[in-house]
Amino acid sequence: MSKWIALALGSVLVALVAVLATREPAQNTLAKSPLVGKPAPEVIGTGLDGSTVRLSSLRGRYVVVNFFATWCTPCLQEHDDLMRFAERHRSTGDASIVAVLFDDEPANARTFFAKRGGNWPVIEDVSGKVALDFGVRGPPESYVVGPDGTVLAKYVGQVTDTGLDRLLAQAEGSSP
Amino acid sequence: MLVVLALSLAVGASGSRSPRTEADRVNAIASEVRCPTCRSLSAAESDAKAAGAVKEEIRTRLRAGQSDAEIRGYLASRYGKDILLRPDATGLAGLVWSIPVALLLVALAGLFAAFRRWRGVVPPPTDEERALVEEALRSS
Repeated sequence: MSKWIALALGSVLVALVAVLATREPAQNTLAKSPLVGKPAPEVIGTGLDGSTVRLSSLRGRYVVVNFFATWCTPCLQEHDDLMRFAERHRSTGDASIVAVLFDDEPANARTFFAKRGGNWPVIEDVSGKVALDFGVRGPPESYVVGPDGTVLAKYVGQVTDTGLDRLLAQAEGSSP
Repeated sequence: MLVVLALSLAVGASGSRSPRTEADRVNAIASEVRCPTCRSLSAAESDAKAAGAVKEEIRTRLRAGQSDAEIRGYLASRYGKDILLRPDATGLAGLVWSIPVALLLVALAGLFAAFRRWRGVVPPPTDEERALVEEALRSS
């Protein structure tokens, strides 16, 4: 009898592990933030190339403010999606990405971008002030800022290019 | 009894003085704020970079003349109210603090009234009981 119980429990455990191992990671998970619906905090920072990056200079287009780190696996997984998103909107000029390095070394980010591609501005945020202004708890987190500078959404975890485009389409549909 | 309780609370509240130095004030506010990247540490207790940023922001805002409540309000406006380890004592959250105190006071008042009523309903001794007491006193 106990043999059958052990076998049943073992089967359930194996099934559980199989489900967890094969399921897709959570993507495009919207999260609550007191900033949604409010003006985005101004971001002024030094880019990896030494230039000054200013979020307000991108007013008039959608901006994805993406907090990332090179040690963060979901950040690596979403990078190709961000590349596709940036490429798709490059010609139209209606959306762009500003990345903010979260608790990581600028040298790591330079190597990361040189290896994986992507030419959007990356802010070093050495003091962590930009992350604090946005209320970031851990990478990756992405904030979508509308053309008028209002925060439209906060994503926690990995985003996809299609998920971001879906949000932009919804925002376009609801705007007057 | 209620007066004694109220006085004790008032004395206790006035006994807690606000910290004097800037570092003390930063530490006091940071100890009431959750470290953004830790699970169960306050920003004062944590060495994480995010906790350092919180402490630096508190220092900057204190120097700008902001009150403790304003600084806590700013942090809550970025992270949400759950960044605060001590709930706000106003609005709905204030009820969480005030209801137990109000219930305690009502219970004490009820007990006080009940004791008075019980004292009032004790019947006077009968002549037979008085005689018994007098006899007992005489014999002792």
